[in-house]
Amino acid sequence: MSNKDLRFDGRVAVVTGAGNGLGRSHAHLLASRGAKVVVNDLGGSAHGKGSSQKAADRVVAEIKEAGGEAVANYDSVTDGEKIIQCALDSFGKVDIVINNAGILRDVSFHKMSQDDWDLIYQVHVLGSFKVSHAAWPHMREQRYGRIIMTSSAAGLYGNFGQANYSTAKLGLAGFGLTLAHEGRKRGIHVNTIAPVAGSRMTETILPPDLIAALKPEYVSPLVAYLCHESCEETGGIFEVGGGMVAKLRWQRTEGKMYRIGRDMAPEDIREAWPTVVDFGKATYPTDAMSAIKPVLDNIAEGPSKGGNKFIDCDEALGYEFPESKSSYEQKDLALYALGVGAARDPLNSKDLQLVYEMHGEGFRSLPTFGVIPPLNAIIDMASKGKLAPGLNFGVERLLHGEQRLEVVRPLPTSCTLTHSIKVRDIWDKGKHAVVVMECISRDKHGDEVVRNDVSLLIKGAGGWGGERGPSDERNVPPKREADATTTEQLSANQALLYRLSGDVNPLHADPNFARAFGFERPILHGLCTFGHVARHVINAFCDGDPRYFKSIDVRFSGSVFPGETLHTEMWKESDTRIILQCTVKERDKLVISHAAVELFTEIPKAPDRSKKPTAKADKPASAEPISADVFTAIGQHIAQNSGLVQKVGKVFGFQLSSPDSAWTVDLKNGAGGVREGIDQADCTLEMTDADFMAMCAGKLNAQKLYFDGRLKIGGDVMASQKLTFLAKLDPKLVQQAAHARVGAGGETAPQKSAEAGPAEVFIGIGDHVARHPEIAQNIGKVYLWKLTDPDSLWTLDLKTPPGSVAAGEATKPNCTLELSQADFLAMSRGELNPQQMYFDGKLKISGDVMASQKLTFLKDIDPEKAKAAVAAAKQKGDVLKAKKPTATKKDEGPSAAEVVASLAKVLKAHPELAGEVGALVELRDTTSGTAWTLDLRAEAPGERVSEGAAEGPDSVFSIAAADLAALVRGDVHASVLFQRGKLRVDGDVGVAKRLGHLKQSLRANMSAAN
Amino acid sequence: MGKVNIIGVGMVKFAKPGKSEDYNVMARKAAAAALADAGIAYNEVQQAYAGYVYGDSTCGQRVVYELGLTGIPVFNVNNNCSTGSTALFLARQAIEGGSVDCALVVGFEKMEKGALGAKWDDRANPLEAHANLMNEVQGFAQAPPAAQMFGGAGREYRWQHGTRRETFAKISEKARKHANNNPLALFRDVLSVEEILASPEIFDPLTRYQCCPPTCGAAAAVLCSDAFAKKHGREGAVKIIAQAMTTDYASSFDEKSMIKMVGFDMAKQAAKQVYEASGIGPNDVDVIELHDCFTANELLTYEALGLCPEGEAEKFIWDGDNTYGGKFVTNPSGGLLSKGHPLGATGLAQCAELVWQLRGQADKRQVKDAKVGLQHNLGLGGACVVTMYQA
Repeated sequence: MSNKDLRFDGRVAVVTGAGNGLGRSHAHLLASRGAKVVVNDLGGSAHGKGSSQKAADRVVAEIKEAGGEAVANYDSVTDGEKIIQCALDSFGKVDIVINNAGILRDVSFHKMSQDDWDLIYQVHVLGSFKVSHAAWPHMREQRYGRIIMTSSAAGLYGNFGQANYSTAKLGLAGFGLTLAHEGRKRGIHVNTIAPVAGSRMTETILPPDLIAALKPEYVSPLVAYLCHESCEETGGIFEVGGGMVAKLRWQRTEGKMYRIGRDMAPEDIREAWPTVVDFGKATYPTDAMSAIKPVLDNIAEGPSKGGNKFIDCDEALGYEFPESKSSYEQKDLALYALGVGAARDPLNSKDLQLVYEMHGEGFRSLPTFGVIPPLNAIIDMASKGKLAPGLNFGVERLLHGEQRLEVVRPLPTSCTLTHSIKVRDIWDKGKHAVVVMECISRDKHGDEVVRNDVSLLIKGAGGWGGERGPSDERNVPPKREADATTTEQLSANQALLYRLSGDVNPLHADPNFARAFGFERPILHGLCTFGHVARHVINAFCDGDPRYFKSIDVRFSGSVFPGETLHTEMWKESDTRIILQCTVKERDKLVISHAAVELFTEIPKAPDRSKKPTAKADKPASAEPISADVFTAIGQHIAQNSGLVQKVGKVFGFQLSSPDSAWTVDLKNGAGGVREGIDQADCTLEMTDADFMAMCAGKLNAQKLYFDGRLKIGGDVMASQKLTFLAKLDPKLVQQAAHARVGAGGETAPQKSAEAGPAEVFIGIGDHVARHPEIAQNIGKVYLWKLTDPDSLWTLDLKTPPGSVAAGEATKPNCTLELSQADFLAMSRGELNPQQMYFDGKLKISGDVMASQKLTFLKDIDPEKAKAAVAAAKQKGDVLKAKKPTATKKDEGPSAAEVVASLAKVLKAHPELAGEVGALVELRDTTSGTAWTLDLRAEAPGERVSEGAAEGPDSVFSIAAADLAALVRGDVHASVLFQRGKLRVDGDVGVAKRLGHLKQSLRANMSAAN
Repeated sequence: MGKVNIIGVGMVKFAKPGKSEDYNVMARKAAAAALADAGIAYNEVQQAYAGYVYGDSTCGQRVVYELGLTGIPVFNVNNNCSTGSTALFLARQAIEGGSVDCALVVGFEKMEKGALGAKWDDRANPLEAHANLMNEVQGFAQAPPAAQMFGGAGREYRWQHGTRRETFAKISEKARKHANNNPLALFRDVLSVEEILASPEIFDPLTRYQCCPPTCGAAAAVLCSDAFAKKHGREGAVKIIAQAMTTDYASSFDEKSMIKMVGFDMAKQAAKQVYEASGIGPNDVDVIELHDCFTANELLTYEALGLCPEGEAEKFIWDGDNTYGGKFVTNPSGGLLSKGHPLGATGLAQCAELVWQLRGQADKRQVKDAKVGLQHNLGLGGACVVTMYQA
């Protein structure tokens, strides 16, 4: 028998009802594998009548005959303690209890007597209880036990005529589950089987050939495995027999959850029935805790926020739509402006600015266009189904009730917006409900551009007793004559024009469709009226300049028909706030009420992005000119050429991308000048930073860029032709600006003056070290910082107490750190991690590398204290002055080509030297990329030295020219270069070692040549 | 030296970081498999030794508590890459010393993606002396530190013995071939020497396919005394007949040698102790699981274990003496290179493989008539455990 066989040596098992059938089979199997078995059988019939010792005795005899150990017991399972006592008396313990004894009293329920019920209960349930209960204390004591309950498919699924039996059998399954919990910690495992087997109990109902197939021998192996000490299973229910062994578990539908506090009526259950019984999303609870978890979660969610069948506040409130994106350009703005009645008078210059991109004063965007992109996003979502989870009303109940729009700054003339839309509020207005959606649209930098609150009135959907929300009586006009009024007759085709901006609902175009909704003809979009009244305010209070417009808040009170006359009354509450209302003159019908517009007192500027490239780019502080330097140079050029302003007389805006920056070149006002950001530009130029640089360097022609679509010109296109001076910009000015920007010690260009340079950082470090003398005490190392681009040297002495910082080179640094000034500054600001920089190769550490790990205190430096220290130092005039490394001109030695030439000479003179190496070698100079073939075989078929790669070389050496020179000079040993990875050898490395002699001759030859 | 029985082993299939189950699940499964293999219940285990490197304290308890709350002593063991065999060493010592009859050893690791690095930056680095020596000998490069150390040792060996780059790749080729037959291994695709050399260079001479991957996994073993084995009818179990553990000698740092720094002498001395204690020399070993974290280390280890004379590893490799049909079979499981290297689990996965080999249960990768197995598990920092098994 192999080690893998499951043995029961030393185990004592009690099997009830073991005189026949399943019990007998269990007993035989366990005994055959070493268990000592108590064979219990009352000896009654399958129907619980009579008793005889024969059955048990027979089984015991069979076991003994097979070499096993067993005793017979004839007690009833209802005297379970006697059976267990028998085990203790005979074998001294009990490890395994198999509750198998059972009888049948099948009778249909209407004929069932209480005797039938009680007898079945007693044998199955009470019997299993008594036997298990008597064994339990012994199993607990020995911290080991295995118990089997015998259930039945009749119990699990029910069966005609077995009401008593199935009750008892399912009872046993529950009994087993609880015992499994209680026994788990004591090593007692309890499992339940539901066997299908041909036994005395079933022989009356199953045909003989089927009974043969359902041998007990198909059940007992599972029972034995479950009773084995190696089996970790407990609390399981198994169906077994006829060749099948399968585990059963509970499955539960996800079901329907009702939030605590919500009404729950029988009708709700009926409605939710498909969900209640849907096993598509099922769970499988394994214990009472996991079963009750969803309930606890539901309680933990807190009381319901209310709702009804139209609106479920719990689901809908706070729902965030997936982000959506949309783009617009000038043409969209112009079309919108026409849609809301702008430029009805094509000779009105202010209005023309809203629709004509070549307007001399520049193109301007109408701020209320800001409703279009997010509204279109919402319409798009609504057309695909319901608006949001929990908003279960049909679109027919929906009215656009109120609208608020706020722009952060004048809308860009073209933009890609990302919309974040969520259900912000839901109000119960009694009969109706109001759903407020908040839409925030951001540009590609994540800066907010426009914000919309869309209030939707949902007809007949209120009344769940929820909050009413803010007062409806806001923006009420004062009781006096309006301060301004505007009357404007709409075109008869106004709705047809407006719908091209996105809201293509046929209600606004199709007469038949409109009639179906009870309107005599198509009505105007509410947001079209909204755009009109906004224009009225802009014209009346902002002198037609839309850039002063900040926000508008309106209620839609009635429908407007195209062709009607709008009459807008406006009351000035303050310089920044106008209250208004709008009526249709022909019908004297209020269509916009409770409305207000807010204004800016000055035009907000676009966020300044010009610093971004200088602060965040990889090598910001290199002396390579960047666009900022060009603009600095342009400023100087303007200052030097006073006639320019007079000649040009325009303001130019430059919108550069990747990296983004915006600049204004003013050649109109005063002496002219250059500033960051775009304002008051007559002509705006959009292009990439790279194209701009190329254009200013005279490498690219502006006209060509324009025709290639790489340069976009807005506003006064003709003015752009006056920028030709850019290509003639003196490159020296640009270079000077670049050097000024990256000048050591923080002498930066004007736009960067606030930023700290390395001197400031080191003053801060010095201050920190002085205040923490323990740092120097603990570290005891001197660090040399070599900053590059531009080069400067700094010493951080944490060896000589109390520690200090100095500009210049330390005499004996323990550890040298080399990195670019920009990376150093970024690191000091905590933007870069030294370890990462090291791995990225941006930080080079030499000397005592581990000492660098002790510099972690740098991140503890308080920036405020460092700033104070810098200020104090500046006051005292005690500023660290950056020191540049003294350039030591290195003798770079001979080039690789020279070395090879010398080698050829040596080999010609002493061909025997090659023989000592005896290999075909390829030498690659990694500096120049040149390869040479060195034929160092004893007999060379051709030239020993030739340029070009070798054919089938024995080894290939790759080395930089400088290293090769050092090697030939004898400054460094080849093995060191190899170990450091500076000499790479493919193929036979041994060749490299054999080159020693050759190297010496070579050295002699070369020094002779020098 | 007395003899300790290994009556059960188990492991889970190794997985890439992020693709594995949590450490406790993997370890519980490995331990349960070992217990089932041993044919004993958890409550018969008297002590448990849990090996892992990355994790908070008492992960060991978290693992074995899922098998039972029996109040037994649980030891959490951390010894870098040799963690698993260090735990094995402790359990073997406890049984051999008569303190316990039956012990469970479980090793597991849930690793992060990417190369190994220091976890703590606010305290002394345990590998400081090793790193300083490397810096002195070859400087710091932009490469994973462990690859620089073992790769540097490979460079040193190449210089000394003129070894070709292909020879290192040949080891990886063999590892993949072996792993192809191991369903529990992480990388089972066969690779050619050309493919291995063409993979990105990590640190010359090591290319990516010559570096073991960060891996998640668990393995376990049940060790017991002769009396316990007899009681459970397991007299014929595989036995540990000798075991030795060494840490760094002065030579690791004094000789300014990368080969010595990465533990050549630790391995050599541990092997010597095991050969002397068992009276069985390298020539009588049939199958070997050794620490091939990088191909360079497998090559060095051939010589440290005395499988071939020093300087002759290249010939040994090209003669095929490290695979089926040759003198030995090294890393039939695929080794760390192909099976994966979950630090805490590795030592026990090696143990499991050898036990299966010596029982004749290794299926397609069975080394014919394997009677004696040798295990070598090494960690920088450092520690090396060499163990000899006999059927």
